[in-house]
Amino acid sequence: MGTSEQIHPANEPSSEGLPSLIRFISSEMDHDFDSIVNDHINNLSAPALDSYSPNSSIMVSEAAAERESNRIHSVSISMPPTPKRVGFTDNNETIDAPDSAAATSKDKKTRFYSQPMPSATTTESSAGAPASGELPRHPRISKLKDKRFDSFKTWSGRLERQLSNLRGNKIQEIEQESVSQPTAEPQPNTPINIPVDRFFDALEGPELDKLRASEESILPEDKTWPFLLRYPISSFGIILGVSSQAIMWKALATSASTKFLHISMDVNLVLWWISIVLMAIVTFAYVLKIIFYFEAVRREYYHPIRVNFFFAPWIALLFLALGLPPSVYQSLPHALWYVLMIPFLCLELKIYGQWMSGGQRRLSKVANPSNHLSVVGNFVGSLLGASMGLKEGPIFFFAVGLAHYTVLFVTLYQRLPTNETLPKELHPVFFLFVAAPSVASMAWANIQGSFDFGARIAYFIALFLYFSLAVRINFFRGFRFSLAWWAYTFPMTGAAIATIRYSNMVNTVVTKSLVVILCIISTLTVTGLLVTTIIHAFVLRDLFPNDISIAISDRKPKTHRRWYHHRRAGSTDIDQFLKYADSAEAKDIEAALSGNIELQSTAAPKEVSQD
Amino acid sequence: MSMTPNTEFENQNTILDIDIMIDDSPPSSSEKREDVHSLLALIGLRFMVSSMLTRIHAGYFRISLSLCWETLLWKTLLDPTNSETKFLHRIPQMVYRPVLIFLWSFALFILVLLSLLYLLRCIFRFNLVKGEFLHHVGVNYLFAPWISWLILLESFPFIAPKHIGYKALWWVFALPVVILDIKIYGQWFTKGKRFLTAVANPTSHLSVIGNLVGARAAAKMGWQEVSVCLFSLGMVHYLVLFVTLYQRLSGSDRLPAMLRPVFFLFSAAPSMASLAWASITGSFDTASKMLFFLSLFLFTSLICRPTLFKKSMRKFNVAWWAYSYPVTLLALASTRYAKEVKGEVPHTIMLTLSSLSVLVIIALLLFTALYSKILLRDDDPCLKLPKHSRLCIQNFK
Repeated sequence: MGTSEQIHPANEPSSEGLPSLIRFISSEMDHDFDSIVNDHINNLSAPALDSYSPNSSIMVSEAAAERESNRIHSVSISMPPTPKRVGFTDNNETIDAPDSAAATSKDKKTRFYSQPMPSATTTESSAGAPASGELPRHPRISKLKDKRFDSFKTWSGRLERQLSNLRGNKIQEIEQESVSQPTAEPQPNTPINIPVDRFFDALEGPELDKLRASEESILPEDKTWPFLLRYPISSFGIILGVSSQAIMWKALATSASTKFLHISMDVNLVLWWISIVLMAIVTFAYVLKIIFYFEAVRREYYHPIRVNFFFAPWIALLFLALGLPPSVYQSLPHALWYVLMIPFLCLELKIYGQWMSGGQRRLSKVANPSNHLSVVGNFVGSLLGASMGLKEGPIFFFAVGLAHYTVLFVTLYQRLPTNETLPKELHPVFFLFVAAPSVASMAWANIQGSFDFGARIAYFIALFLYFSLAVRINFFRGFRFSLAWWAYTFPMTGAAIATIRYSNMVNTVVTKSLVVILCIISTLTVTGLLVTTIIHAFVLRDLFPNDISIAISDRKPKTHRRWYHHRRAGSTDIDQFLKYADSAEAKDIEAALSGNIELQSTAAPKEVSQD
Repeated sequence: MSMTPNTEFENQNTILDIDIMIDDSPPSSSEKREDVHSLLALIGLRFMVSSMLTRIHAGYFRISLSLCWETLLWKTLLDPTNSETKFLHRIPQMVYRPVLIFLWSFALFILVLLSLLYLLRCIFRFNLVKGEFLHHVGVNYLFAPWISWLILLESFPFIAPKHIGYKALWWVFALPVVILDIKIYGQWFTKGKRFLTAVANPTSHLSVIGNLVGARAAAKMGWQEVSVCLFSLGMVHYLVLFVTLYQRLSGSDRLPAMLRPVFFLFSAAPSMASLAWASITGSFDTASKMLFFLSLFLFTSLICRPTLFKKSMRKFNVAWWAYSYPVTLLALASTRYAKEVKGEVPHTIMLTLSSLSVLVIIALLLFTALYSKILLRDDDPCLKLPKHSRLCIQNFK
């Protein structure tokens, strides 16, 4: 059985020794039996597929991509086993069924067996990997590391091999791996859907980026990972911060009410060009990450907080269009607006649809302040469209944004006990609360033509939220700096710009001084953040720490497997009360399968089961 | 009931019971055979009616909802004064009237049939009706008959909204809606077990739609205050319902897979709201546009998730009719939108949605005709009641 063909379902070892069905049942006890049987039947009947093909359509495809927990991939491995491999099989005894960690590691060994180890070539091809320096000293360790990171690589390193072939480098001999960490659960190459519960259980912190003590990471924590693996999507926040500054300085220079400040347009020009350069760099790096480490990108997409940052590139593009200096281009064509908004529309169709009908990622569970990023883009697009002179399109996005913002706002304000992701302490992410109303007020003003009552209501809401957060500035201490903080500065800038618009309408000393104060605060914040970033980048050299949040194992470590419910201490009351009809089934199904709504609903409302 | 005993025998789509009884009748002299036949026919009729009364629940009014709204759509589309659909006016006035009358009569017929059946059910099977009222999905469909009658009234080809008969009938149909409102909405925030987070599901949109339909009809009659009152009632509860449903506090929506088509009601409520607001203010202003766009977005979002409906598409059941009227409503709203905002894109949207609505309803009519036996089957999810109300049913039996 060993190498000819092994079938790998989502997260289970293939049959070896024990009948695989029994292994399934015993190791996945919290799954619905039907689904397990279905999985297994599917596995047995499916032909061998290429296991290395990434599910590259995740980001743009429809719900099916996300719900394919039953998708299986099998691996065909063509290399004969060596004695050493047999030795490792003995070492990691997997016959006692629940020890699936070892089982999967063994399988991982067999799976990766045929994979050559382009250790040197791999690290060269991934941009800026710092590990290359270690290679000559510890070839085996570096090979190990490569192998471990291979699980994240697109086509598990095949691309590197091809590139290295092109470059004419020698492909290394096939070696077995040395010790694989007993607790590290290697990620199968097959795309799996990680249930959102896993993220909540494994991570903590306001940005869900710290690993809990009881969890393990599947990538080595002590080594520095390849640069691309450490490059988060939240780096797009930098562009958000800088480009919103560009817009602010443009508004300062061109508004009638701030003429007394005599700001020149050069500031806007410089900032805008900086943003363009940054955008190019960040986009390039992230595209490389998509190409080389698609699995990591997928995991970021499934992360309940990081998914919102996938809106950030599009918002950044919109900001760049808004902050366009008149000297560069006079007026943008309408077609550009459609080009910018269509990918945004597709993304939000996907994400909002999840909120509405997706099993696990419903809003009451995953709502967190970063969700504002999903909603504010509607208002930004509406603002841009209205300022370009379009009529219907801006109203469309404004309506959609308003409806979903209402839902989000109510949910976040409720701070439901079932909501796990709200940080208990204040964190800069809370400033995102200010973003949506301030941009909405400007968008509405542009749609209506003047800063009328609707715009003013939204503006005052934004102002209130800003002040209520600003007076609590003492509580914003003690947080570890992360690149995502850049994204939290644009709301302050947005509030400043909205104040500028407001002061155009209501031209008094109070409003003008408010403009000055807010602009100074926002500029100081951005400058401070810039300094901190530079310090972290060059002095402390930890601007890009190991991105633990994408490296969580897809299953809990053995001891905690069945006790998910413990963690949700505060939620038991409401949960029990609300789920009186279908509590057990719903939780189990949701925990077991990722968003497979059909299976979920067969079990959940048992009393009205139809099939 | 328009069916005669004789046609039952020839009609192959009758309930299975009847066929078996007829086949078992032994041959005898012709006169005796006729007596036996008529007796059996009567018994068969009685059984058929009785079984229908057990099975026809308020969800069957989806059929009449779809037909009535389709009639309204065609009335709007074929309206000679509607400049947007000029291409359709190669059809002369002579054809428009009969087509409309035919559609309207068909809708009327179905609605009368269903209403009579449901009335009989209320009389003879009141315990079942009560069970429906206690069920979190069934209760919302109690609005459906009144909505259908209101829409049918509006799409009547002959009388204008200001006619006295129209007004009188409006009161007849709108009053039950208000009474149901008070009962159900009151339950949402006061009652012990049937509060909103426990019972909210997409069919709750029907109560909102009921208010909005009443508001629109009132606005067309010129009753500004009544219409604004009903509109605000509907919108406030829509806001609460929208947030609750999006939050999905209790996870699975407690909606069986068979009823997934009702998710399209998410898009039906804002389109109705946009139409109602347009009738109140007189023109399709920004607020109406925003509601229309929201409805369009939700509709697109649901269309892009076909796997959500895969489970419910396995067997034909009356819930499939829930696909039809939200599309028709959206098409109606888009007609209004295209009338206000002239241009290629609104026109295209209107045409696409209208043709989609026609296709869907034709397909559903075909399916119903083919599978009408299945339509009246016993294990309909709406009849399967949750545990607590099943106990009530047992008591009543």
